[in-house]
Amino acid sequence: MALYFFTPFIAIILTILGGGIIFYILGFNPIEALKFYFITPISNLYGLSELLLKATPLCLIAIGLSFCFKSNNWNIGAEGQLTFGAIVGGGVALLFYNQEGFYILPLVILAGAIGGMIFALIPAILKTYFNTNEILVSLMLVYVSKLLLDYLVVGPWSNPEGFNFPETRQFSDSSRMPLLFESLRIHAGIFLALAAVMLSWFILYKTYLGFQIKVSGLSLKTAKYAGFKGKTMILVVFMISGACAGLAGVGEITGPIGQLHRMISPDYGFTAIIVAFLGRLNPFGIIFASLVVALTYLGAETAQIFLQIPKYTGQVFQGMILFFLLASDYLLFFKVKILNLKKNELRH
Amino acid sequence: MATDLRISNISKIYPGCVANDNVSLQFKSGKIYALLGENGAGKSTLVKILSGVISPDNGEVFLNEKNLKLSSPLDAKKNKIGMVFQHFNLFETLSVFENLSIDATEDNKSLRVRINEILKKYNFSIDLDVPVLNLSAGQKQKVEIIRCLLRSPKVLIMDEPTSVLTEQETEELFISLKKFCDEGILIIYITHKLKEVLSLCDEVAVMRKGKVVSVSQTQNEKVETLANKMVGQKLAKIKKKINISKNKDEIFKVKHLNFYSDDPFETNLVNLNFSVKKGECLGIAGISGNGQNELFQILSGEIITPDTSIIFRNKEIAKLNPKQRREYLMAFSPEDRISQAAVPELKIYENVALNNFKSSNFFEKGLVNERKIKEHSKKILSDFSVNTDNVELKSQFLSGGNLQKLILGRELITAPELLICYNPTWGLDVGAINYIHETLIKINNQEKSTILISTDTEELLKLSDRIAVIYKGKLSKIMPSEEVTPEKLGLLMGGGSID
Repeated sequence: MALYFFTPFIAIILTILGGGIIFYILGFNPIEALKFYFITPISNLYGLSELLLKATPLCLIAIGLSFCFKSNNWNIGAEGQLTFGAIVGGGVALLFYNQEGFYILPLVILAGAIGGMIFALIPAILKTYFNTNEILVSLMLVYVSKLLLDYLVVGPWSNPEGFNFPETRQFSDSSRMPLLFESLRIHAGIFLALAAVMLSWFILYKTYLGFQIKVSGLSLKTAKYAGFKGKTMILVVFMISGACAGLAGVGEITGPIGQLHRMISPDYGFTAIIVAFLGRLNPFGIIFASLVVALTYLGAETAQIFLQIPKYTGQVFQGMILFFLLASDYLLFFKVKILNLKKNELRH
Repeated sequence: MATDLRISNISKIYPGCVANDNVSLQFKSGKIYALLGENGAGKSTLVKILSGVISPDNGEVFLNEKNLKLSSPLDAKKNKIGMVFQHFNLFETLSVFENLSIDATEDNKSLRVRINEILKKYNFSIDLDVPVLNLSAGQKQKVEIIRCLLRSPKVLIMDEPTSVLTEQETEELFISLKKFCDEGILIIYITHKLKEVLSLCDEVAVMRKGKVVSVSQTQNEKVETLANKMVGQKLAKIKKKINISKNKDEIFKVKHLNFYSDDPFETNLVNLNFSVKKGECLGIAGISGNGQNELFQILSGEIITPDTSIIFRNKEIAKLNPKQRREYLMAFSPEDRISQAAVPELKIYENVALNNFKSSNFFEKGLVNERKIKEHSKKILSDFSVNTDNVELKSQFLSGGNLQKLILGRELITAPELLICYNPTWGLDVGAINYIHETLIKINNQEKSTILISTDTEELLKLSDRIAVIYKGKLSKIMPSEEVTPEKLGLLMGGGSID
């Protein structure tokens, strides 16, 4: 059991070692490169604020996903739910583009959560009533929502004074998340993420719904035998998951971005899958994991600036974390036996 | 070339269960051998040893007087022992040819020639280039057989091969097997179907509780004699008092229970009708795989079948799920303790909360009432003498017997009017079995009813007031248990008929 929460640390250490080796092969001094990657970005206040800014959506989405994953529902379309939430929330924000009022931001946030929820209900309903595979449906819907966003920012919602740039008007200040500090980008969305952590801990460990999720995840046969309403539960976990992704989307557009355009998320929805598993689907583990993974985003940007390494190395690091996590799980929980076989024996 | 396979003093012991107890057998090519036994008799263990999947604790295997070291399936292949398992090992999306070429050593061209030769020789009609998922169960099995034949096996072991076949496919299979036999392949046929043994095999070895209890020529056997050997003759004399009184109320009544499944590993149920009286134990006997799983799930509400009528205490409950049925005071104890009735990774009190009936108040307004669940769990642990008082213990650390006591306790503490249990003592030691039998008798004496679905005839004869036999999804006439003898049961379980 202790081992179970220990493997993520092993995975992170192995990822750093692996990254060092890659930098060495690319001809960089690995120590220096890793320093640029993991230390420089957070060595000042601005960097810490950026870290929290990036960790916020990751944490929110991963919290939502943990409900799905814990109950054996494989929602991998959080990126789509994020985008659709941003579209709906952004739509409401655009309605109020020239108005001020305290009520606007809550409306926008609520609209974003509902948008994500509705979009997540599509794979859930198809799964429960038509027996489709939620992995495929949720994944394909990501592209649907991204193309819809593309169409909106180029077409009907594009800024009339925007010289045909693919973007909408700027939201009014009343639709923007309040900043926590002058001159730093970190905004009030982080409280949404923290609230989600608390709430999810309460639901997962203290309620009947949480108990049903736990049992279904461990044994569907038992859940059926106990008479849990399986269909309702699938719908509920997808709704929770979609709402969290929608909140993350709306947090981005009302926070650092301030309008809708094509690139509202650097694949937070997909990266959050890694966060959820690195955090062991545990609410507090997810906080920790979201910080680690957010650092890979920041490190990639710093490395690009100082070392001219493409920022896509961030994805390499994220991939390595998941790879090493799965590998250490596998090696720690299964016994490996090395067989001495000649090649042609294997073929028989 | 004649083949001679000899198994000498094989033993395999699992914790709490002797799967093979000093088994010695001899097989010679030119004959088809049957290995007959109930589930859990040790057939599968023996076959797994022969195919190298598990190693025996003791004993040796000789092929043509050569001592074989079978430490992996590769060793079995090298020694020309072929095996067709009950569940197919094929890649559904690959074509037949691709499946066969995966572990072939020759190039595709000569492989195709050899496969075509086999197809022609044995009259198999299979299109080599269609994906396996388009094949029927019988055709898939033929692909598996071809895979074995490609390696020119000396021994071919078939594990319950007809469980997924139609009558027609079964006949075709038998013709092929006889052909293989004539060509000198030694065939070992594993089954629990008595009629197949009589129509196909030359010699039959019967296993019971890990031991070989008889080896004989099939021509000297009949369905009844084999059935008796298979289930054992012991008739428990400690019968409970028979409390059938003709005019007691029917508390539970099932009408027109039909179940059709597309899954070839499930059994269809055909028009089951029966009823249970107050304070009565209705036993349902049968060799496993004849529809007991499906029947249990329908009675518990895990599967809802249309057009079935289930009346319980004068209410129609056929459309209710297990949780709702529990509210009407039904309780269920499934066969699979470890992955269905309880979750090993959960703590004892969490497993207790699985039986969440309304008056328990385990979950008030959607919140977990941990204190209440733990109190309730403590009471179960002490009332049903589970050998721990720690409700925080994960249930994977309980022995089978204690886990079953916990499950029965969880189900019975609500004082249900009807308990439905399926193989409640499966795999338990004598002490636990006695405890559970006493408990079941006690609830009958308290005027509560039970339905006991079991593959253990001894248990059924000991506990039931009336007994019916399920065979291929059909239920026999229900008989008062004093009229039932082990012979009668054996006959019905093997598909025979009485009267």
